[in-house]
Order: sequence, then structure tokens, then C-alpha cells
Amino acid sequence: MVTVSMVVNGTKVDKEVEDSLLLAYFLRETLGLTGTHVGCDTTQCGCCVVHLNGISVKSCTVLATQADGASVTTIEGLAHGAELHPVQRAFRECHGLQCGFCTPGMIMAATELIDTHPGPLTEEIVREEMEGNLCRCTGYHNIVKAILVAAEEMRLPGRAAAGD
Amino acid sequence: MVSSPIFRTVGQPLRRKEDERLITGRGQFTDDFALPGQVWAVMVRSPYPHARLDGIDSTAALSMPGVLGVYTGADCIADGLGEIPHNPVPSTNFDVKLTGPGGGPVFIGSHALLPADRARYVGEAVAMVVAETRQAALTAAEAVEVTYEPLPWVADTVEAARPDAPRLWDDLPDNILVDSSFGDAAATEAAFARAAHVVSMVARIGRVTGVPLEPRAALGSLDAETGRYTLYAGSGGAVRQKHELAKVLGVEPDRLRVVSLDVGGNFGTRNRAYVEFGLVLWASRKLGRPVKFRADRSESFLTDYQGRDLVSEVSLAIDQNGKFLAMRASNLSNVGSRCVSLSPLSKGSGLITGSYDIPCATLRSRAVYSNTMSTQAYRSSGRPEVTFAIERLIDKASRELGIDRFELRRRNLVKPSQMPYQNAVGSIYDSGEYELNMDRLLRLADWKGVPTRREAARRRNKLFGVGFANYVESSIGTPKERADLIVTSGGIEVVIGTQPAGQGHETSFAQVTADLLGVPFEQVKITLGDTDIVSAGGGTHSGRSMRHASAVITLGSADLIAEGKKRAAGLLEAAEDEVAFEDGIFRSGASNRSIDWFELARLSGTFRIRRDNEMHTPVFPNGACMCEIEIDPETGGLEITHYSTVDDVGRCINPLIVHGQTHGGIAQGVGQALWETCFIDPESGQPLSGSFTDYGMPRFDNMPSFATEIVEVLSPTNPLGIKAGGEGGTTPAPAVIMSAIEDALAEYGPIEITMPATPLKIWSAIQDMRRQQSLPTGIKGVA
Amino acid sequence: MYPFTYRRPATLADAQRLFGDAENASFLSGGHTLLPALKMRLAMPSDLIDLAAIPELHGIRFEDGALSIGATTRHAEVAASPVVGERIPALAGLAGSIGDRHVRHRGTIGGSVANNDPAADYPAGVLGLGATIVTSRRQMTADDFFVSLYETALEPGEIVTRIVFPVPAIASYAKFRSAASRYSVAGVFVARTGSTVRVAVTGAGAQGVFRPAELEAALTVDFRPEAIKGCAIDPATLLSDQNASAEYRANLILVLARRAMEKLGTIQSFK
Repeated sequence: MVTVSMVVNGTKVDKEVEDSLLLAYFLRETLGLTGTHVGCDTTQCGCCVVHLNGISVKSCTVLATQADGASVTTIEGLAHGAELHPVQRAFRECHGLQCGFCTPGMIMAATELIDTHPGPLTEEIVREEMEGNLCRCTGYHNIVKAILVAAEEMRLPGRAAAGD
Repeated sequence: MVSSPIFRTVGQPLRRKEDERLITGRGQFTDDFALPGQVWAVMVRSPYPHARLDGIDSTAALSMPGVLGVYTGADCIADGLGEIPHNPVPSTNFDVKLTGPGGGPVFIGSHALLPADRARYVGEAVAMVVAETRQAALTAAEAVEVTYEPLPWVADTVEAARPDAPRLWDDLPDNILVDSSFGDAAATEAAFARAAHVVSMVARIGRVTGVPLEPRAALGSLDAETGRYTLYAGSGGAVRQKHELAKVLGVEPDRLRVVSLDVGGNFGTRNRAYVEFGLVLWASRKLGRPVKFRADRSESFLTDYQGRDLVSEVSLAIDQNGKFLAMRASNLSNVGSRCVSLSPLSKGSGLITGSYDIPCATLRSRAVYSNTMSTQAYRSSGRPEVTFAIERLIDKASRELGIDRFELRRRNLVKPSQMPYQNAVGSIYDSGEYELNMDRLLRLADWKGVPTRREAARRRNKLFGVGFANYVESSIGTPKERADLIVTSGGIEVVIGTQPAGQGHETSFAQVTADLLGVPFEQVKITLGDTDIVSAGGGTHSGRSMRHASAVITLGSADLIAEGKKRAAGLLEAAEDEVAFEDGIFRSGASNRSIDWFELARLSGTFRIRRDNEMHTPVFPNGACMCEIEIDPETGGLEITHYSTVDDVGRCINPLIVHGQTHGGIAQGVGQALWETCFIDPESGQPLSGSFTDYGMPRFDNMPSFATEIVEVLSPTNPLGIKAGGEGGTTPAPAVIMSAIEDALAEYGPIEITMPATPLKIWSAIQDMRRQQSLPTGIKGVA
Repeated sequence: MYPFTYRRPATLADAQRLFGDAENASFLSGGHTLLPALKMRLAMPSDLIDLAAIPELHGIRFEDGALSIGATTRHAEVAASPVVGERIPALAGLAGSIGDRHVRHRGTIGGSVANNDPAADYPAGVLGLGATIVTSRRQMTADDFFVSLYETALEPGEIVTRIVFPVPAIASYAKFRSAASRYSVAGVFVARTGSTVRVAVTGAGAQGVFRPAELEAALTVDFRPEAIKGCAIDPATLLSDQNASAEYRANLILVLARRAMEKLGTIQSFK
């Protein structure tokens, strides 16, 4: 067993966990943050994407102990109270989700992409940069649309400083 | 019988009610549930496609830390567990009647939770280990010693149908469980005899799997005090699961509650009970603890119910004017090791003539067992298969006859004036404008711009291809549905037995209810998926939900309005027949007073009605589809550059949702054409598509954006004129993609590439044709 | 995963000592090959020794005319590094083409090179550029380092610390990706330094990354795309599976080599 400390969605947590516990299950089962999903065993589907110190990672392939001392943001920590993050809003507006299982990972991947990509996003860039996330319901069409809409909104000056 | 309430929200792209929880991480998927004291089940799975079970030694496993129990097929028998009561033969009044060979009953292989005699496919659970943690159970599962005696096996569809193939079931003389013939054989023979042309082909539509992104999971518990079981398990219909699993456990259905809230994709894979669902319930009884199972993705690839796997031999008799005279088809469906559903065979059987007026046809429909995971209805069950056969056959006819592919289709399409149209195998198409769909599509897809784009691609050293297909499909599904409508002072709740996995029922059903009752959309709540609340219902499959829900809600609304009038009469001090209902308001002409639903409930108390409906008549969604592709002849790499569809869904309740359904449907159909296959090594019988590293999926960067257009030719068969919108994207997609590949390679002559058309297959086909024609390696016509 | 003990030493010496003390330890870098293998229960190490906290293993430097990249430097860092982008743009491009965005945020060059997956991209860049692999014990040329599938010259307990890349006159990389795994079905790295031309092929070789002698010879004589015409690759030396036969891979190598030559200084990814 090993003690890990991290700041998750702004709250400091200290837990004693198995050395082999993956970050995804630390979030889901130790902390009860079940919004982060696990959809595969091979680090491919992206359902488990969270932000580790502001960077998108597949939390199914990071040990909880590797995140010791880090700041983690999950889908539960994206909105500011009742105010949704622009990416969350855009997914709803553009019907960028159906069953919703891939959605937390999609939204976390998209927010990080928008926040860190230098220069404007295009459909081509979004399709290339988002390839590490799988969706079985939408054919991706409306997710691409949602990300471009959110990116546009987030570029506008004076937008609400939502998000991490 | 189309009624006409005031449609305020029906037809509007309202944003979904479901989304708020799903975009904030507050969904309730099966693995999100945890119960105090829960323990973990892990399956020991057969590494052999076919093997006799000669003994299972669990001594070592039982001695490992944290292990609570190891259970086998012998234990299932000792405990008197029932088999999963599959009911695979579709049985609405309009389904084709499938029988066993010689017209007898269909032999259904037993489906115990764990087999005691043999393992019949790779991945079949032969024992269950339960331990305090999942890791401990996984480790102990490796220590369970199973003695297997490997047996001869067969996986391939055609080989499994041979008389000398290894047999799966001792009670059958071979592997053939269905053999039925339909149509007018004499008339068809005569038509073929007088035909100017006969065109034939064999269409192979391979095995794929649904890949819902939520791996299947189950959490079972038994409340020792009440003696009631609870199962948390995402499915395609909690009510069905309740009844089937109660039979397995040998208890009355009211002793089992099934909870299926948010479901992370289904596509048919979750519409039948899984052995693990019964196993966790049984284990919870034996151990007195809640028991959880969660499949790895690799387990899902091996043991989720799979889809397609049909071989169709088709021939078309054509006269000298290009008019279709008759069709012959012989379809062979691979059901896998157990027959859980014959829907893929049955659904296709009624649609072999496609969108075309073919006066006579014969069809032989057969189903065969094999040493593979069982197949089930997978998105648009049976229809992509037969659409592939007829549309590819027409493309071949067009080439052989030298008639333009659109013109040949136009000469033979069923005309609106022929509706309702009975096809040669008995299906009655309700409505549709098939040729107009083609015209709309050619505009939407900018057919006129094709030569320019073809030339531009050629300049980039790419082979350009245009694929096209028409389609008609049937939506039937379980005929019964129930709705409870409950009026309170705060809103109206509808409890219904469909089971969405992303289709947005909470939104579109609320739109229908809101408009029928004249209340704000925001004040309607749809409740689904918990069998302690939902008492009956047919689940979600076969494009049935919107149609069945709107029909039963329409009937229920009439009952509710009648009840409302009764109550309003008292409150408004008017005679019941003096109370009029309009747009959400009960009004008394005599007293000139009025009252709305919520005030009515506040003053007279919450009221509810229950309405059952049975509706057998199928509907026939239809449409046309075109895509453009570019092939890199040096690598066989392929890019889809345009993809357009026109889909007649009948009345469209929520276009945002329907377009979304079309997009996702397209991706699944395209996936089968280009990447997806449950590949089994022909030497060893081992499935080699066990993870996302082997099973190619539609992704952001291999899918285009789509142009989709909805057509609303109202169906005369149900109150709101609904057809279905969930499967039209998938139905023509495999045919369209393969048609485009053939067009792109047309300059080399006719080719045969089976799905999935991987870069290797495309490149190899080009190499073969070049060798045959001694062509230079560069692209034709490009320096 | 089987249970293991996680350790995070702060120095290279501690890492080596922990390895020596453990029954059966594995080094952990980005974890994007090792952790998936552990999840599939393909290995059962007693200890995982995380190299992430050892400062000297991290970072990118340009020194003595060569580019030195620390073993725990992540793919995304290499891809975004102005130093790499300026000196060897094809290497930055290669790093930016590995896996997906999230994988690049975790995966490291040392982990990739030490694992020597036959379909990984870095081995092509390392061998194609004639890099030197610096370890906790010695230095090795790339030619000596890569042995066979998942096999390198590393001894038990030996840690890759840095990879040192000589700066070429020009280099480029072209690859064709698997529709499913996204790994390279074939990837060809071409580099010219002075009059020396090196070509390295990943994804296709039956023994892992390799240098096709015939291509190198042809391009040394004539460093133009046309020089590849007439070259051949023997399919007998290549991998074969249901999605890519050896003949197909042989074809891809020639096509990709030509395309790499046609767009020198770039990375191209085909599918």
C-alpha cells in the first residue's frame, strides 16, 4: 500500500491505495467520481481522459501513485457550479453525444485541445488531434461540430473564465 | 388514422433532457453502482473453439487469498438453475415464418449459465470465480484447472452447413437449424426461363460486433430479509431481462428487480440475457454478498453477442428492356454456438427484392450452428445484408447489360402509386417515394460536380469512385408496449418500457406527450429502465421505440383527457359532455370557466392511467445513399471524401436526434465495409480480433462529415405516421462503400473484394488486375 | 495487474540499487507500453521503479553539435521542442505522429527505445539518424542497440539515460498506419549527413527495425526519389499478418521511401 496525495477538482485528497491501482479506478472507486469511464484495456478508447496538471492523459494507463502530488481535473470538476463549461454547452447544443459513455473523455480531451492548441482549430485539425478518443454512436460528425463551436466561443474576448 | 394535435415541439430540434447529467459526469451506468460488501466475479473462459469438459479442479484456486467460491456447470445443475429461455423465432403476424428442416420446429441449443458438457466457442465461460477483489478473482481464475478434450470444430458459415461438418449438437443430424422456402417457385422458374439476361452473385456479409463503448457489466444482490433479487445491468430492455432471468433462477418475476438506467451503447448486443447476469445473481444467493462482474474490452470482443454473418446467393432475371422479371435468393445465416435470435435471417428474408418491383421471387432461408459466439440482431438486423446483395447485384447487372446504374434502378423502382405494395415474398411496403429519394440525393450529393472532382482526384494520383445504393427496410419489433401516464400538480410523467442507449427517448417521447396533452415540454418527464417502476414493455430494438411509444402515448393521452374531463366537470360545475379539451385546457362552455392539467391534479389529486397497445403492422423506412472515395493505388489506402443520404423516416419528432442517429448508423455500416471484422484464424479457430489494436473502428480521422436529408412521407399504419430513424444510416452503407470501390477500380475491370476492404485487399486486387492486363504501375492517364 | 511494489527513486544510483535489491523489477518511464502489458497480465514484476523523478534523465539539450534527449522526455515535449524542430524537424514530426495526443503526453523516448516494439516509430528515427544510446553503464550505437523484436542490447538493470542524435543535413519520415492499432504497418526514415545516407524501416521487419542496404546504397549514389526505382525489398525478411502480407509491406517500404525523398524535411503519415 502507498499513500497518495493530490488535488482533485480543487479538493485535496489523501488516500492509502494499492501500489498497482490505476488513476482511473482511484477516481471511480476510491473517490466515487464515476464520471471518468473505462472502455478498453489497450489505452485506445479515450473514455478515461482527465487532466493531469492541465494536460490530457488516459487515466487507465497512469498509476494513482504516479499522480502523487499532482492536480487532477475530471468531468465533475469542469463546470463552475451551475455554469457549464463552453465545451459542455456546445456538446449539448450540437448533439455531440448519444449514449454519453465516451462523452466525459471527449469533453476533457476537447477542452485541453482548445486550451493548448496554438492558432485556430479547423475540422481537419480537430479530427487529427482527437483520434485518441472513440465514439460508437455519433459517427463523430456532431462532436467535431461541437468542438469547433466551443473553440470559437472560447476565443471570443471576455468569455466567462470557466474551466480549469 | 393520423391525428392532428397542435405540434409545437414535434418536429423541432429540441436539445436533449438526457444531456445535463451525461456532460457533467452524473450518468448512471452499470459499473457506476457499488453496493456495500460487494465482491467480484471473474469467468474462466474456454481457450478452445470446441472441447469436451473432462473435469474442473478448483482446489488450488479456492485456497488462494480472498477467494470465496468457484462454480461450474455441475453446480448450476445441482442448484436446479434454468437455462436462458431464448425465444429466437420472430413471431409478429408479419414476420416470415421460419421453420426447421422439413417444416418442423426450430432446434434451440440449451444455454445454461455454465455448460457441463462441452465448450462450444473460444471465450465461453466454463467456470466462475468469486473473490473479495477483482484482482484476486483474476489471479484465482488462472489457477482453476480445466481438463479439456479438444474436439473438431467449424467456424466458417458455408463449411458449417456441409453435411460432414463437425456437429455442435448431438440432437441434430447436422448443424442446420432452419431451412425454409418462400415465394412462388413455378412462376420464378418460368420467368428465369424466358429472361433475356440472368445475373448472379454470391454476397458475403461477414461477422462483426457491436462494440458499445461501455463494456457489459452486472451487479447482483439478494436481500436476505425480503428475499428479492436486484440486478443492475445495462440492457436493451429491463423487463425482458427480468422475466428471462427469473426463469433461470426459478423464481417468480416479481422477486427480481432489474435496473438499467444509462446504457453506454447497445446496437443489439444487449438485447438478450448474458450468462454473467444470471451468474452474479446466483452467486449473490450462494454467498450472501452483492456480486459484481465487469467485462474487459477483450472479453467484450470475444463474448458480446455478435452481428451479421450471412452468405447470400442471388440471381436476377431481366428482360431485354432492363425490367426485372424475377429473383432467386438463398440466404445462409451463422447463428454461432447457440441460437439466441433469428432476427438477422428473418428480417432480411422479407426484403430480398429491395426497393424494386420484382414480380416473383423465391427464397431459401437457412441458419447454421458453428463454433463461434452467438449472433444477434446488430444495428439494422438483416437489412444491410440483403440490401448489399440486391444493390451490388444491380450494379453488376448495370455493367453487364451496359445500362446506366441509375437508369436501371429507375426502370424498376416501386412507384408511389403502387403503395401499399406487396413484394414477391409477402412484405407490404406502407409508403414511400423511392424515385424522388434518388432525385433528392443526386441534388444533395452534387452529382453534377462529380466529373470535376473525379478529374481533380486523378490529378492527385488518386482513383476516384462514386458509390450508390437505394434501400428499403422494415421496422417491426416486439408488438406490445405499455405506458403509464401520471398527472401531478407539478408535471406529467410517462413510464414506458422502451430502453434507450443514447436514442434520446427522454426528449422525443416528452415532445410527443407535451404536444398531445398541450403542456410545456419542460413539464414532461419520461421514466424508463427500472422494473420496479416499469411494469411491462418491449424494450428497444428494430426501430420500434418511437413508433410504439408514440402510438401508446397517443392512446393513453386520449384516456387521460377523458379522465381529465370527468374531473374537470366536477370542479368546473359542468356536465362531463360540456367540458371541452383544447391545447392543454379543459373548458366549460356553460360556466365559461377553465382549468389546466396541473391545477386539476392539485385540486382533485394525482391521477394516472395505464394503457397497453399491441401493434403488429410493420413500417418500411427507405432512402438513397451516395458516397465518394479516393484510393491511393500505391498503398491501397482509401479516404471517404463525401457521404450523403436521404432517409424517409416518416414523421420526424426531433430532427437533431434523427440526424444524429443517421450519422452514427453510417459510421457502423462504413466500419463493416472498411475495417471491422471478427476475424477467426482458419488454422486454429482462434478469434484474432480481441482488442482495439486488432479490430479497426470508425474514428475521427477516417470518417468524413455527412450530408443527411430527412424525408417525411407519413406512414398510414400508426397515429403519428412514424417509420423509424435509427437504422437507415447503416442499411445501405456497406453496399455504397463497396460500390464506390468498384467504381474507383472500374478502369481495371470487375473486381471482387470482400468486406472489410482493407488497404491490403485493395492493393492486392490492383496488383492482380495489373498483372492480368500487363499494365504499368502508375495511375492510368497520369504522367 | 498482479500486485507489485511501486518505487520512485530520485537518483540514478538509487534506481540501480533498488533494481539490484528487488526480486524481479521493471523500470517504469511513461508507462504506455509497460502498464498496458501489466493490465493484460503479461508480466509479473515484483517492483516497478519509476524513473520520472530522476532529473538528469529528462530534457532536451543541444551540445557538442548534437541533440541530446533525456530518456524520460515525453513525445509531446520532443514534438513541440523548438530546438528539435529547428535542428531535426523530421524527428520532431516523428514524435508528434506517435500514438495519439494523450499517449504523447505520457509516453517517453527512453521507454519506446528500450521496448523496441517492431512497429514503434522512434526506433526508425534513432537508427535512421545513427543516434547513440547512452545508458547507466555505457554508450552504444543504434546499430548495436536494436537486436530483434522487443529485444535490445540492454542488460538487466541497465537504464537508458539519453539518446544523442547527430544533426543530419536533411531527414524525413513517411509511414503507413494500421487502421486498428494505429502503429506503423511500415515506416521509413531517411537521413543524409554529409555524403552518408541512412535509411531505417520500422513496422515491417521480421527482426524489428532494420536498415535496407539496397536502398541506402542507391540513395548514397543518387540522393533523389528516382534512385529508388529498381530497388527491391525481399519479402522473406518481413512480417506478415492478415492485414498486411510481407509482399504488401515490401511495396509499402519502397513507396514510403520514395515519398520520404519527395518531401525531404517533413513527416508524412498515410492510412
